[in-house]
Amino acid sequence: MKLKKALLAAALMVVTATVAAQNIRVFSGGASQRPDLMRKLFDEFEKKNPGSKIDMETGGATSEAQRQYLSTVLNAKDSAIDVYMIDIVNPMQYARAGWLEPLDSYLGAEAGSLMKNYLPAYASADVVDGKIVALPAFADAQFLYYRKDLFEKYGVKSPTTWDELAVGLKKILDGEKNAGMNGVATTGAAIEGAVCTFLKPYWSQGKDFNDASGRITLDKAAAQKGIEMWLSLVDRGVMQKNIGEVKPADMNNAFKAGNLVAMVNWGFAWDILQSQADSTVKGKVGVLPLPAMGGGKSATCIGGWQWAVSAFSKNKAASAKLVRFLSSPESAKFLAIEGSLLPVFPQTYSDADVLKKLPHYKDALPVVQAARGRPMSDRYGEVSDALRTTTNAMLARSVKPADGVAEIDNKLRRVMR
Amino acid sequence: MAAPLASPTLIDRLRDPSEKTLGVMLLAPAALLLLMIVVYPIGKLFYNSFFDMRLSGGQGSKFIGLQNYADMMKDTGFWDATLNTVIITAVTVPGALLVGLGLALLANLPFKRQWPVRLALLLPWALPLAFAGLIWAWFFHTEYGFINDVWARMGGEPRMWLLSPVSAFTAICLAIIWKASSFMALVLLAGLQMIPKSLYEAAEVDGASKWQQFTQITLPMLMPSIMVALIFRTITALQTFDIPYTMTKGGPGNATETLAMYIHKTTIDYLDVGYGSTLAVGMFVLSLLLTAVYLRHISKQDSA
Repeated sequence: MKLKKALLAAALMVVTATVAAQNIRVFSGGASQRPDLMRKLFDEFEKKNPGSKIDMETGGATSEAQRQYLSTVLNAKDSAIDVYMIDIVNPMQYARAGWLEPLDSYLGAEAGSLMKNYLPAYASADVVDGKIVALPAFADAQFLYYRKDLFEKYGVKSPTTWDELAVGLKKILDGEKNAGMNGVATTGAAIEGAVCTFLKPYWSQGKDFNDASGRITLDKAAAQKGIEMWLSLVDRGVMQKNIGEVKPADMNNAFKAGNLVAMVNWGFAWDILQSQADSTVKGKVGVLPLPAMGGGKSATCIGGWQWAVSAFSKNKAASAKLVRFLSSPESAKFLAIEGSLLPVFPQTYSDADVLKKLPHYKDALPVVQAARGRPMSDRYGEVSDALRTTTNAMLARSVKPADGVAEIDNKLRRVMR
Repeated sequence: MAAPLASPTLIDRLRDPSEKTLGVMLLAPAALLLLMIVVYPIGKLFYNSFFDMRLSGGQGSKFIGLQNYADMMKDTGFWDATLNTVIITAVTVPGALLVGLGLALLANLPFKRQWPVRLALLLPWALPLAFAGLIWAWFFHTEYGFINDVWARMGGEPRMWLLSPVSAFTAICLAIIWKASSFMALVLLAGLQMIPKSLYEAAEVDGASKWQQFTQITLPMLMPSIMVALIFRTITALQTFDIPYTMTKGGPGNATETLAMYIHKTTIDYLDVGYGSTLAVGMFVLSLLLTAVYLRHISKQDSA
């Protein structure tokens, strides 16, 4: 009897699977991309479109891991997944490989004007060779998180340069006399975030890493100065010596425990510091644009995620409809309030409901608008690897800044040409 | 049984196989399996190594002959990783042998209870490699690590063990020796227990010292076990991946990157399957060379 039931169930599953060709299967990133919130958006879409059903799949904690997985799936021209969430560094590579379905024809009359609604960085990343290949899901950029209470206690003003920050932190650390407390941290471990650690002080000197066609234009002296700035923070005692070990999660934990006065981190950190039960710094967190190099301009790294329809999907029209729904001001507002995921629409930053929960968003818009993109390349894996491992070695002081920068230049001249 | 008059059909032969056909039939499944899971992948690896095959751009693959091999010869990343691998092998294989020998001799002592000793020997061997790497990474962590805690209690300044090439290398070698010596010890312990007690008794009667007994009886009798353990250990040491990957990810920079990690990075991170295959062929040749050296040594001993 049991066997019969099991067989029947199996048969039913086969039948539903064939009918389910109308279903949409979505790859929605890893845990940092908040699949829990995405699922709620999918439920909303199912409610509004009776008969549609969305299966989701998640994977890869880091952008690198996701890129490896998706490249394998897309190389195999796999039609199982219809919609992908992809990192801002990927649309160009995927579109040029012919893996993404251009959305223009599905958007109808909107196609001509739609992209003007978004923040310019995303509009430009998602239009490749004149075609809309993806729609922005949410934005991201790196900010300076700081302990508002400690800055006030010691009368430290909001720093505009790294030097000012170092002076202020020194005052706070000397005053607090807490051996377990560190000044400022940034990602120094050899992961994707270290690419931004390299680029931020470099860009801040008004330099470009690459030209419009993707060729490398590295100013070695400026790059060296950027790395030396980080090392000088260590020498002045306001950055931990083991910065080469630090990952974003380490910073979050130290900050939550009250052991870190400031940190350079992505937008989602706000939600972690303010909402998680074990945070001891709720209500004491301030957010600022990143400080600049002396005589330079504040520069930060842009991140963010896009929704794209697979060129191999058998259900493109419905998938495009879903992507359009996900990339709307309503969805952006929901993601901002529930997960502090930065909106891709400028007007959401001044929305009253959003500001009530996220008061720092009023200062966040100019930061996101000025944020810069990492170099786009169809060999981005190699670009990223050269930058993050060498930056890690320079921060660990196992390679001198001058040698490390020359090594980066050497490697990437062959890749970014 | 009468001999068939006409030449037998295939069916007949299968129904009443001769010794030889039966042998072939019985071997076929195993041979097929080997063909599928060993010969085909290795053949495909060699085949791929002649192609420019990048998955990252979706541009398909192109035959480029020996270009990948020429690139490999000029690739400093390849040579650095090979050097690191050779150093790790040269340090950890003798290291694990010495420690393992010590452990085996210890475990061979006439304890009242044998099982706690044996269990202690087995535990590191039974741990997954990646897990062992993570444990050691925590040991050496600058802020939360056990090593720095002890170091600080003795009055030392906390050190960043995994952030400097020399100490990171040392830490990795320590972890590998710890992990590998239990395997060595197990193999050697089995060897020790095969040595007849009567030899030692006779030596005792002849007035040989303990050291003489060890060098004249134990070591020579143990040689075959030592060789087996060395061969296995050397080949696994050449493929070292898990422990450095989990402890340092090859850092600082690429200072502790092994050949296996470089292949993984090229193939999986860069999605450069063609060049990755070439590197894997390089590692294959390296393993083959070292195994050949050992095998020669063994066959010499056998014929002697």
